[in-house]
Amino acid sequence: MLLNIFQLLINGVLLGGIYAMVSIGLTLIWGVMQIVNFAHGEFLMIGMYLTFWLFQLYGIDPYLSLLVVAPALFVLGVITQRLVINPVLNAQETSQIFSTVGLSILLQNLALFFWKADYRTLRMPYSLPNIKFQGLIVSFPRLMAFIITLLMVIALFLFLKKTFWGKALRATVENKRSAQLMGINIKRFYYLALGLGIACVGIAGATLMPMYPVFPTTGTYFVLTAFVVVVLGGMGSMAGAFIGGLIIGVVESFSGFLLAPVLKEVTYFLVFIMILVLRPSGLLGKERQ
Amino acid sequence: MGWRKFFYRVGQPSVYVSLVLLVLLGAATQFVQQPFCLNILVLILFYAAASSAWNLVGGYAGQLSLGHAAFFGIGAYCSTLFYLNFGLSPWLGLVVGGFAAAVFGVGISYPCFRLRGPFFALATIAIAEVMRILSLYFEKVTNGAVGLLIPFKPGIVNFLFRDKAAYAFIAYLFLLIVVGISFMIERSRSGYLLCALRNDEIAAEAAGVNTARFKLFVMIISAFLTAAAGTFYAQYSSFVDPDTAFSIHFSINLAMVSIIGGMGTIIGPILGSFILTPLDHILRGWLGGFSAGLSFAVYGLALILVVTYLPDGIIKWLRQGLFPLIEKLPRVRWSEKPSAAQLQLASSGPFLYPGREVLPLLSARNLSKSFGGLTAVRNVSFEIKQGEILGLIGPNGAGKTTLFNLISGFLKPDSGSVVFQGGEITHLHPPHRVVLTGISRTFQIVRPFNNLRVIENVMIGGFKSSRKVAEVEEKADQILAIVGLSRYRNYMASNLSVGDRKRLELGRALATDSKLLLLDEVMGGLNPHEVTEMIQVLKSIAQNGVTLFIIEHVMKAIMMLSHRIVVLQNGEIIAEGGPQEIGSNRKVIEAYLGEEYLNVTAR
Repeated sequence: MLLNIFQLLINGVLLGGIYAMVSIGLTLIWGVMQIVNFAHGEFLMIGMYLTFWLFQLYGIDPYLSLLVVAPALFVLGVITQRLVINPVLNAQETSQIFSTVGLSILLQNLALFFWKADYRTLRMPYSLPNIKFQGLIVSFPRLMAFIITLLMVIALFLFLKKTFWGKALRATVENKRSAQLMGINIKRFYYLALGLGIACVGIAGATLMPMYPVFPTTGTYFVLTAFVVVVLGGMGSMAGAFIGGLIIGVVESFSGFLLAPVLKEVTYFLVFIMILVLRPSGLLGKERQ
Repeated sequence: MGWRKFFYRVGQPSVYVSLVLLVLLGAATQFVQQPFCLNILVLILFYAAASSAWNLVGGYAGQLSLGHAAFFGIGAYCSTLFYLNFGLSPWLGLVVGGFAAAVFGVGISYPCFRLRGPFFALATIAIAEVMRILSLYFEKVTNGAVGLLIPFKPGIVNFLFRDKAAYAFIAYLFLLIVVGISFMIERSRSGYLLCALRNDEIAAEAAGVNTARFKLFVMIISAFLTAAAGTFYAQYSSFVDPDTAFSIHFSINLAMVSIIGGMGTIIGPILGSFILTPLDHILRGWLGGFSAGLSFAVYGLALILVVTYLPDGIIKWLRQGLFPLIEKLPRVRWSEKPSAAQLQLASSGPFLYPGREVLPLLSARNLSKSFGGLTAVRNVSFEIKQGEILGLIGPNGAGKTTLFNLISGFLKPDSGSVVFQGGEITHLHPPHRVVLTGISRTFQIVRPFNNLRVIENVMIGGFKSSRKVAEVEEKADQILAIVGLSRYRNYMASNLSVGDRKRLELGRALATDSKLLLLDEVMGGLNPHEVTEMIQVLKSIAQNGVTLFIIEHVMKAIMMLSHRIVVLQNGEIIAEGGPQEIGSNRKVIEAYLGEEYLNVTAR
């Protein structure tokens, strides 16, 4: 029994790492621009397809393909910022919400057009054999995902705290006008934020490829969870996304075991609604006046 | 509405043109024969009606729901399950489903209405998704992913018809009902108030609008109507399954139809449906053979382009091009314009000079409020007497606005109490409840309803005491005259200058018929001439028996106006007394100008 609980906990934490990974970019983008990227899941999907084809066509290992996928999605993020986000930055809320909703529909269906609705999986030699330790089973790709998430969080943290660009980005988050008055070209940091945010979800895509199939609507499945994670952790809080991801992972793992696997989403959507009622600013979010 | 008024309205070009179009649309449902076209017509009417229902919440109340599929699915499943299991006519099932959805709507409103903008949209997506999963999970009832098939037994009671024209006609009637309801809401008090709360919820609360109630009100109606659409769709396709009933794409579609046509307008959703629904079918027929995804990709692209470059929808083009042309059509005169009932000018009450015998109108006892480590207001007690003008001054950051927020219900004090006219108002929340007791306020940083005209801004405050639009409009005109904004009556509030916005802010507060007005720097940013004018306005308001509590930095004004002045520094009252007294108070000069100044003048 105790072993069971430990196993569920490990599964939950590792799963949480995956959720955190998908959510970090979302929270970063919100923090800088107060825009919810409804197309976030589609960028995950693109990251996964890119990884898939890199392996299929050139035999590049998914973990190695990170080096290609991350920069490629960074560029895609910058292009998105230019074409989709910039025109609605000062527009009404409806426009801000529905421009990324529209982008989500567009990307999903372009994927359907190019790659059909087939499920595509990447079976790597390390996809199956699990690491066994004292009767506990740990899946290798999940462990990798967790480690990569951790590295990503640390790297982002160092970038934001230590570098000039990171500090300027934080200043933009705190107060756009003051940042502008200090000579920061905030437009440039919007590009940086969306680029980084999308690159993060691209990394997530590459890391997920050895364990999950990719198809045009893969993103929808993950992105709903990511929204829950981000609201739970507190919109705009990087650490919040990480902790929120872990909590949702553990909740999912236990509810799947105790109730029914189908109901796991219901459980954390209920958690989501409870948070909205009790603490709308999330665990680590700032209270707003 | 009297017959005279009715005939007068019908005589107007915009009214008779819309009526003719509606009748033609009704006739079309009977004359279109070709099955493909008939099917498209049914869907156009269906989406127009369902999106109009969405538009009540999404457009009029400004709550961008992406989870209306939850109501739709509830309606579809309710009527179908009752019909299949108990033989209940889907017509009755429609009513049952409608009420179920309305109750569900109330349930989800409590958590969701606390959220703004994208977060509301996210929460509603999650709720519809929960419903989809639950409908998959309870397989025994819903038949899971396989769905429920409604056996084809045509008949009126069964809501099943051999002839598609019957569905077209029902959809048409449904559209008429939804449009009728939207029209009634738009033209009534609720329409104005919804528009105000969509603009700025905080300012709406300050004008006495119970924002939560109005949002809930439209949510209930919208949920019921969307559920009815669900029943209709289930009957039309004789089939329900979780993926169509609770699909996020359906929710997005409803929103999209309204957005493309024009949100928060009556014809927006109809217009949107007439464009999108056929386009959707043509694209699917044309590109569908080519590839499944492409037609929807075009859809997504269209959505991005519309919200970016035409955020007000296609109705904007019509407003510029077609509507003025329609107005040029001849006006049919059956009867003269009925004159609105004349309203008497507000009675001027006696101007009470404050004296010891006058009862306090408001008394604050030991109010304290801190934010984190900073104590903004510390143990403040004071009284406002009936009919007086009480000034509140103090250096920046002294806690003046916080004190206003505590009295007007925008902040809860940590301790202490506020008693107004003998009743405790300390913990009244949300703020409109304070307005209902007879206190209203203005904001230091003005918050006009930018998308409303000047007159309508004032009317929002006036709806506190009357439901009749014409009556409130009349009163608002009088108030515009008092605050000197009559010539800008029909301007959009966003076009006013800073000084005029301050007047508007005052006018809106005045319209609530409050006994006590809290005015937060209504003279800030005015030039000397305007200040003199404003002083006269405030004096005349006070002479009408309204008590004023004013924060002001313009010393000339505060000295001329106030009967008494309270001085606040670092959250504490450091002096209280008549203008002369305060002007020569050592502590006050020190607080404003610093000790050095005092030393210099002493020398």
